[in-house]
Amino acid sequence: MDIKVYIESGVIESYVLGMADAQEAAELEQLSRQHPAIRKAIDEFEAALEQQALATAVMPAPRVKEQLLAELAFEKKSKKSVVIGWSRYLAAASVILLVVSASLNVYFYKQFSSAHTAYQALLVEKTSLLSENQQTQTKLLDLHSNMQMMSDPSMIKVSMPGVAGKENSLATVFWDSKSKDVYLLPNKLPEAAAGKQYQLWAIVDGKPVDAGVIEACAGLCKMKNIPTASMFAITLENKGGSTAPTLDQMYVAGKVG
Amino acid sequence: MEVVKKYSEPELVQLLRERGESAFGYLYDNYSGALLSIILNIVNEEELANDVLQDVFVKIWKQIDSYDSSKGRLFTWMLNIARNASIDTVRSKSFQNSRQNRELTEDVYAAGGTSETRTDQIGLRKMVHSLKEEYRVLVELSYFQGFTQDEIANMLKIPLGTVKTRLRAALTQLREIIKP
Repeated sequence: MDIKVYIESGVIESYVLGMADAQEAAELEQLSRQHPAIRKAIDEFEAALEQQALATAVMPAPRVKEQLLAELAFEKKSKKSVVIGWSRYLAAASVILLVVSASLNVYFYKQFSSAHTAYQALLVEKTSLLSENQQTQTKLLDLHSNMQMMSDPSMIKVSMPGVAGKENSLATVFWDSKSKDVYLLPNKLPEAAAGKQYQLWAIVDGKPVDAGVIEACAGLCKMKNIPTASMFAITLENKGGSTAPTLDQMYVAGKVG
Repeated sequence: MEVVKKYSEPELVQLLRERGESAFGYLYDNYSGALLSIILNIVNEEELANDVLQDVFVKIWKQIDSYDSSKGRLFTWMLNIARNASIDTVRSKSFQNSRQNRELTEDVYAAGGTSETRTDQIGLRKMVHSLKEEYRVLVELSYFQGFTQDEIANMLKIPLGTVKTRLRAALTQLREIIKP
């Protein structure tokens, strides 16, 4: 495929403007991962479109922001109901206290403000704790499902020790003998240099077949589906992967079975 | 409107996902005008366009988790939400009815100075106006009115293949016009 012609074809603009159909969009997303020039053209058009829109911005009516803030605050009402109840009670109390003593009123108001501030700080802390907790739970769930997958009897484990000169490297392929899905556990691989990426290869009838590039993933990385293979190996390639492995950049390899 | 860079885009997205109210205020202050410009291009009516803008920000707030940064910029995602919401509004029955009523009353006041002539002279649509006629029509129908290429081929009685090639050529030219 001629990348230049593709970039000039109008398909990128059509995609960014939301006018491409599902098939065109999927094709473009796939190609943009393989060809940095396409990614760059998309980025440039998006940036130009954004700049153009910002340059011709029209000031909205002030009511819009007010209504939005009111609507979004409404969504959080359940969390704040405690404060509202308190403030009402405090307001009532301060009216009586005002009659009795203005100074007491001020005193109570100050108390309330600091409690309110403290409460707000706690709310913020609670939200951040909640989100941390959620992240941890997701990670745990991922790990649990990874473990389930690894211990499945239909899973073939292919250990890939480092090749000569890369003895410190290690990676493991988990290959589902039923679905033929391939998962990779990069146990020990040196960090890829900028612009480089590891790529997994399946050796089928003595020939290397692309099994996908290794993205940053927690635990097991899902790779391409490989129906048959006698061996798996990992090489270091340019970002986006190659069509044929660079053999002197092989890190690990292992036979199936 | 000048964008004051306070957050990087990934930071902003992260803060929005954590439901940060100041992040939302920042997003609104910096992007509402740009989005209103495209909404006005489609809806053509200031009051209604402001209502659509409000809906668009509620959608952005609620759907921020579905934004995928690997597919493109945050603004592109918001722009597409704004465009779709505007087209939906124009196609809704109540809008069609009110437009008919309005056209009847506007006839009385003769031409000149109506909101319609103004809202297609701003933003992206103004740039589309500088395309040649056969290109302009296609971008108007597909981008601003949301017709599919099949529908356009039927409406204009030209082959689907021609619609496709012309539209692609039109968009390539549009990119050259937009280029800073």
